[in-house]
Amino acid sequence: MSASPDSTHTALFGEESTFSNEAHPGIEPSVSSDTSENDINRCSHITSVFADPSAKAGIVGKFKTVVAWHTRRTHGALHPAKRRKVSSPTCDTCNQTLSRPFVCLQCSFTGCWSGGHITDHLKETVHTFCVDAKSGSVFCSECDDFVFDDTIDDLYLSTVLSVEEQKTKFQVEKRGREPYQPWIPTGDESIVLKDAATVPCQGRRGLLNLGQTCFLNVILQSFIHNPLLRNYFLSDRHNSRLCKHSDCTCCEMDNLFTEIYSPTNTPFGPTSFLATTWKVSAEMSGYAQQDAHEFFITALNQIHGTCRGSTNISCNCIIHQTFAGQFQSDVTCEKCGTVTSTIDPMLDISLELRSKSGEPAADNTLASCLRRYTKQEKLGAREYSCSKCTKASHEAVKRLSIRTLPPVLSFQFKRFEHKTSGKAAPQKIDAPIRIPASINMAPYTTLAMNTTGKDGETGYPGPDAMYEYDLFAVINHEGQMDNGHYTNFARFQDEWYRFDDDKVTPSTLSDCLASNAYMCFYVKRHLDYKPYVKPTYLVAREKDIVREQAMEREKEAARMKEVDDALIAMV
Amino acid sequence: MSKLTSEVEVLHVEVHRRMIENGEWDRILHLLSSKLSESGWADDLLHRAKENSRSMDPLSLQTILQELLSHAQTSVPLSVKREITTLIKQFVREQFEK
Repeated sequence: MSASPDSTHTALFGEESTFSNEAHPGIEPSVSSDTSENDINRCSHITSVFADPSAKAGIVGKFKTVVAWHTRRTHGALHPAKRRKVSSPTCDTCNQTLSRPFVCLQCSFTGCWSGGHITDHLKETVHTFCVDAKSGSVFCSECDDFVFDDTIDDLYLSTVLSVEEQKTKFQVEKRGREPYQPWIPTGDESIVLKDAATVPCQGRRGLLNLGQTCFLNVILQSFIHNPLLRNYFLSDRHNSRLCKHSDCTCCEMDNLFTEIYSPTNTPFGPTSFLATTWKVSAEMSGYAQQDAHEFFITALNQIHGTCRGSTNISCNCIIHQTFAGQFQSDVTCEKCGTVTSTIDPMLDISLELRSKSGEPAADNTLASCLRRYTKQEKLGAREYSCSKCTKASHEAVKRLSIRTLPPVLSFQFKRFEHKTSGKAAPQKIDAPIRIPASINMAPYTTLAMNTTGKDGETGYPGPDAMYEYDLFAVINHEGQMDNGHYTNFARFQDEWYRFDDDKVTPSTLSDCLASNAYMCFYVKRHLDYKPYVKPTYLVAREKDIVREQAMEREKEAARMKEVDDALIAMV
Repeated sequence: MSKLTSEVEVLHVEVHRRMIENGEWDRILHLLSSKLSESGWADDLLHRAKENSRSMDPLSLQTILQELLSHAQTSVPLSVKREITTLIKQFVREQFEK
């Protein structure tokens, strides 16, 4: 598989050639409408057991109990309300206490994996399935391996989610987390869906370099692979044919997604996107090499500005819904202990690669940068004056934390350094940075910092699932300050690809992580939901309709009255 | 000799049980996994497992485990190993002081 814009539908199993039409007559490999049909590695034993409703109910019920128990137990062990014993089963064969029990799905046997007692049990009793309480993975003794089944997979996710929802009480005052509701098409929607043509669910197209425009290409690729932006524009929320604005960046995004998800897969030249950017933003115009991060911020502002529902405060346009979070900065007066908090909006986080001493830190990781970023910082004597004791002479401590986490976190590493003094040319910091494929953001939040207990243990800000983020795009800068080149990596589902302008090549996780990141993007694994509120523009439109109808009725009444009057006059 | 090893085993089982029951096991495991993730160990292992299994026929968890086990054990960063060992030692000491 070489340059791959033409292999848009690489299946989970890597090489596409193994996935020929002959093996699956009647199933188009490109449209995976039904995963179970396409999945050649499916376990036939579990399928046949699930065909019998009562057997299925038994296994499903047991599975749910085991997974829910384990989720609750781990939760209780990590964040105990009181110190108390954690319930823990023992292996029914060797009596070892089990930290990770395996449970038979057909009887009450619990056993250990490492000693092989659970698999022995399955063999002896001719039971077929057992489950790992921690991961929800099901082992089939006839396949002699763990098996995948989509029913089980869905069941695992929904069970864990419902337990976590019960455990999240703090989010809105006195209310639990808004429960997740899967989308079930209504009658009308399913009629529409029946006749709709399916488009490939992934788009991968190289972008032509239009003269030092690699800074634009990498940012556009990061937008294309951003699940929230993709879903917004692919669901026709901003239709460029209905939009009345000129030089609209939202329309450019709409067109871009249309192009990327079109059946064509030759490299695409984002000429009109570039032209619109030049028109609306003076500092980006011209053929000069631009900074990708500057373009990122400009593009966000332009999309925000042309998006429906855009406001200056608490905006709920797609950009703010996706990228907006909040920082909180707490300044504590060392003398009287008064804490002054300020809250600032953020769209991304810029991290220093250098420590306080000025040298690039030896072992830079994303986590160590974030720790440095949220560390307590002593303010100088004149930098702060306390509002309570009104003296500027004493010291204060400042600490930054993340108050609200956005659904998509974008990080920039400050690699380009402009010296404030002297005429020295700006320098590039090439220090390596290690980034993880997924990160838990809980330790850097205001909630976790403020609830830090007296004994130094970190506080409990809610289930971990609320803070898990997965990497989906990385932007790299090669070369020096003025003659560099931007490339990027991006992930679709579980596969990584490298983008170098018009060239797209399959890549791997380790290549992506080993590249020296300039920017990186993470998406939240479990999104939060707000209770459904009708958008204000819909409410306004409905009011307009009601008002117009009332006016129509008045007009009609007046006309009738005229007719009546005329009739009376005649009589 | 055999009496000695069985005593050690009994002790191990007991310490193991206490560690799980008072939640220390889960806390240490949680810390360990966040350290291993930050150091890149977890991502490296994920990458190896995935790339190895791409061409594996038949695909089998046991084979993946066998291929990766020794590498996984030897590649744990020394600093992480030290920190976690210290925590475990501290726990065991506390259990005996009580």
